[in-house]
Amino acid sequence: MGLINNSRAKSPWVVHFDCGSCNGCDIEVLACLTPLYDIERFGILNIGNPKHADVLLVTGTVNPRNERVLRNVYEQIPEPKVVVAIGACACTGGVFADCYNVIQGVDKIIPVDVYVPGCAARPEAIIDGVVLGLQKFQEKVEKMNKKAVGN
Amino acid sequence: MVVLAIVLGPIIGGLLTGIDRKITARLQGRFGPPIMQPFYDVFKLLGKEKFINNKVQIVYVITYLFFAMLSFVLFVLGQDLIAIIFVLTVGGGAMVMGALSVRSPYSQIGSQREILQMLAYDPLLIITAVAMFMVTGSFKVAEIVNYQIHNNTPLLYVLPLVFIVLIEVLSIKMRKSPFDISAGQHAHQEIVRGVHTEFSGPYLALIEVAHWYELMLALGFVAIFFASNWYIAATLVIVMYLLEIILDNTTARLTWKWMLKSAWGFGIVLCAVNIIALYFI
Amino acid sequence: MLDTLLLILIALPFIAGFICLALKNHSARAVVVVLVSIVLMITSVVLLGQGNFEYTLGGQWNTLITYLDFALLAYIAFQAFYHRKYHSLFAYSAVIFAIASIVMVYYFDFVMAHGIEVEPTFFADQLSIIMVLIISIVGSLICIFGIPYMKDHEHHLHLEITRQPRFFLYLVLFLGAMNGLVLANNIVWLLFFWEITTLCSFMLIGHDKTEIATVNALRAISMNMLGGVGFTAGVMILFSNAHTLSLIDIINSNHAPSLLILPLSLMVFAGLTKAAQVPFQSWLLGAMVAPTPVSALLHSSTMVKAGVYLIVRLAPAYADTWLSTMVAILGGLTFVITSALAVGQSNGKKVLAYSTIANLGLIIACAGINTPLAYAGAIFLIIFHAVSKALLFLCVGTIEHGIGSRDIEDMHGLVDKMPLTAVISVIGMLTMFLPPFGMLIGKWTAMEAASVLPIVLLLMILGSAITIVFWVRWAGILMSTSSKPVKRVIENIAFLTKTPLVVLAALAIILNVIIFQVYNLMISPLAKVYYTKAADTFTQVGNGALVNTVGSFTLWPIFATVIVVILFSIYAVGKAKNSVVTAPYMCGETADNDEDRPRFRAIADGWVDYSHSNYYLNRVFGEEVLTNGSNIISIIAILVMFIVAYMGL
Repeated sequence: MGLINNSRAKSPWVVHFDCGSCNGCDIEVLACLTPLYDIERFGILNIGNPKHADVLLVTGTVNPRNERVLRNVYEQIPEPKVVVAIGACACTGGVFADCYNVIQGVDKIIPVDVYVPGCAARPEAIIDGVVLGLQKFQEKVEKMNKKAVGN
Repeated sequence: MVVLAIVLGPIIGGLLTGIDRKITARLQGRFGPPIMQPFYDVFKLLGKEKFINNKVQIVYVITYLFFAMLSFVLFVLGQDLIAIIFVLTVGGGAMVMGALSVRSPYSQIGSQREILQMLAYDPLLIITAVAMFMVTGSFKVAEIVNYQIHNNTPLLYVLPLVFIVLIEVLSIKMRKSPFDISAGQHAHQEIVRGVHTEFSGPYLALIEVAHWYELMLALGFVAIFFASNWYIAATLVIVMYLLEIILDNTTARLTWKWMLKSAWGFGIVLCAVNIIALYFI
Repeated sequence: MLDTLLLILIALPFIAGFICLALKNHSARAVVVVLVSIVLMITSVVLLGQGNFEYTLGGQWNTLITYLDFALLAYIAFQAFYHRKYHSLFAYSAVIFAIASIVMVYYFDFVMAHGIEVEPTFFADQLSIIMVLIISIVGSLICIFGIPYMKDHEHHLHLEITRQPRFFLYLVLFLGAMNGLVLANNIVWLLFFWEITTLCSFMLIGHDKTEIATVNALRAISMNMLGGVGFTAGVMILFSNAHTLSLIDIINSNHAPSLLILPLSLMVFAGLTKAAQVPFQSWLLGAMVAPTPVSALLHSSTMVKAGVYLIVRLAPAYADTWLSTMVAILGGLTFVITSALAVGQSNGKKVLAYSTIANLGLIIACAGINTPLAYAGAIFLIIFHAVSKALLFLCVGTIEHGIGSRDIEDMHGLVDKMPLTAVISVIGMLTMFLPPFGMLIGKWTAMEAASVLPIVLLLMILGSAITIVFWVRWAGILMSTSSKPVKRVIENIAFLTKTPLVVLAALAIILNVIIFQVYNLMISPLAKVYYTKAADTFTQVGNGALVNTVGSFTLWPIFATVIVVILFSIYAVGKAKNSVVTAPYMCGETADNDEDRPRFRAIADGWVDYSHSNYYLNRVFGEEVLTNGSNIISIIAILVMFIVAYMGL
């Protein structure tokens, strides 16, 4: 089991969900893929299909129109999974927090493991956030096993 | 020998995939993942929660894995090349049927394209075997190797054009660009993940391992072109593999029509020219 | 003992057929058909125990056959003439061919070869016995399947007066005629049974009496009568050249090849028409309008197999000639062309039809290659094709009655609706193209045999690659399911429908397990008798492998892998019992699990359906794209064959 657990931290595949971002954070997420930052160094791959993903990157403000979709995408990811909220909007609603149609933070909808602040968040910060999230896999697995025993 | 093939096959195959990813990254000016990355991926996938669409899928994945394994083992044991290709077809067929068993638009299109890929490479692979037969008088891998050692004439000298065709065949078989139309690899996306879209977690891991066996078999095909000297054969395999990676990184994806046309037109004509030339040598 | 066996195998179906015609009661007819079928199956197995034999009937029988032949040809001419208003070209050409046949048979029987005695009248070697087994077992199962099917069929058509008596007359009679055909040694007798199968197929194809059925029946009879004329001409030239009418005599090559080649080429031509090779494929495709048992019978155990039987039977006689090479090329051409045509079809029965013609082409190519290895390949293919194809036709028939369509696109998710039929169909399809099943062993043998003839080998390689395309996608579609939990359906099909399906599926699998025994017992002796010169190239059975001089196919690792896969699958599926069943990925939000099929979430939270279908690539593989060109190529090839034969090469 040790082998599998070690591997989890070394091979996080991320799927990116844009809740309604101004695209600032999205561009920074994609910048992580570029040669300058090259997140594949950490074995991170940007995957299109939540079924294959381990990490969900959420950018932008959640609102009542897309919260259902966010929850649905979250549910499509198999356990163990980590959610990283990227940018001020995803963390708290940011400057739009007081708008009538904005939910203040992704964590109101799905459990968030790592918050990466910034407007927009820097690629270094995003990478740091994902790597931080990887450390959470261990607890996630324990929780998963407990659940399995409970069943 | 069998155990060795079953154990070492995926280990070397996985390492080669890791090297592929590293070189690809370097070609793109990136640092790239560790060489061991494919193993991390597979072990991680093995530990994921099992998501399935239906239970038939599982049967297809297992069929794919074991028949890929069998085809490689048969190759190592020096069995009949045509029989090996037929066994390989079982695995490919199982993969397509697995993708077809889910009513997802992505895996449906992926499987249709995968069928076309099979249509493109399958005859060329058999023609390669036939060309080897024409020279050595046997379809058995062991005999083909013995012939070259005995006569000290590597097949590459007499079948250069067939070898060129093999480059294309392997590109199609390993779903490398420009023929990665049925499924993307690594960070590539094509119709999401094509045939692999609906396989996740441990099942995707098994597919990856099966892929390593196929990679080993494909490189085995290359190696027996220079079986008279194993050092040169190894060099040939490395050169071929590098060439595939460079092709992968320098070409854009083609449509299925291009693939079929080039495989059936270019491939068959080159093979035919080479085989006809054999009569005059 | 022997005369009883022959009587049962050949005469009993004739008698039973006429009893069926007389019986107006459905259940009584069912009892007769089932009884005859069982008797035929048992008798054929007894004949297998009996082994090779020769059997002579007296001269008065020959006279009787001659007169019956006249009656038969006259009846064919009458039938064609009677239906002339449906398609005058086909009808009149059939009439002309029939009358020409009558004249030729008259001239032959009363002027050329009057009072000629041929000994023996019947003979059987392993090939004949294999054919008798196929006809009697597979054919009988199809007849049994026909009982509930025809009841349903007439129910669909809302017929007031049942026409089943006539249907079963020809269906059962067909088996007798085929048994006679494959056992006959006297070529005149063979020709007589040959024409009976032509008549039976005409009657069965046109059974529904719709306009299209009649036109297609006329098409079938005109093409087959053309073959019949060729056959008769071949017999006449054969007699005038070599003064023999005995098959044994011809194939043991007691005569100079140059005398035999022209008549043989004419007989091969007759075989090509009967086996529906390109350019004659249209009659067999037209035959698809007939009720499914007819298609199954025509395609698997009778009719087309008669053509193939003749070509394979005569193969040793034309070994090492250019005629043989041309036969191989013709077979290979048909294999590629019809495989490609099958890719463009979404009609399940048409796919099966094209695949049948393709496989017959492969068998004929094997006959043309004419080495012991190729001969073994041809017989492998004959055996396994008969079983698998009969199974598939019966499956399509059952599916058609179950879902009301024979279109492949309508068969998505069939496993949820008709689990048993779907699984059996998939078994049938897999036995058609994957190792370790017999069809593939046959194909492998054919390919290794074709290594002496690269052009034919190339055709085989291309054809075999194309074959995979339509089988894989069809088999895949049948097993596709929705991810929503389905209620387990128990299929409600009649006992007499289910039994043939299950028996054929079991046969298709068991035959593969005992393939070495089949080879040693039935195929290897044949090759040894007919190819004495090439004694060192026989395929051997050793260490669980088929070994020939150029390669070997080890079967036990594949069987072992299959068993491992089955065990692992049971284990993995069992373990996956509690795993999460998800809907397919739909590029964002997925539809609820209780939806029947996945949909896209679109604007204003609406759902958008999508449709998906197979690639049929009609611009490349369509009938209208390929048919004309390929017909022309094949006609040229046939002409070349005749020229080669005329020159006696």
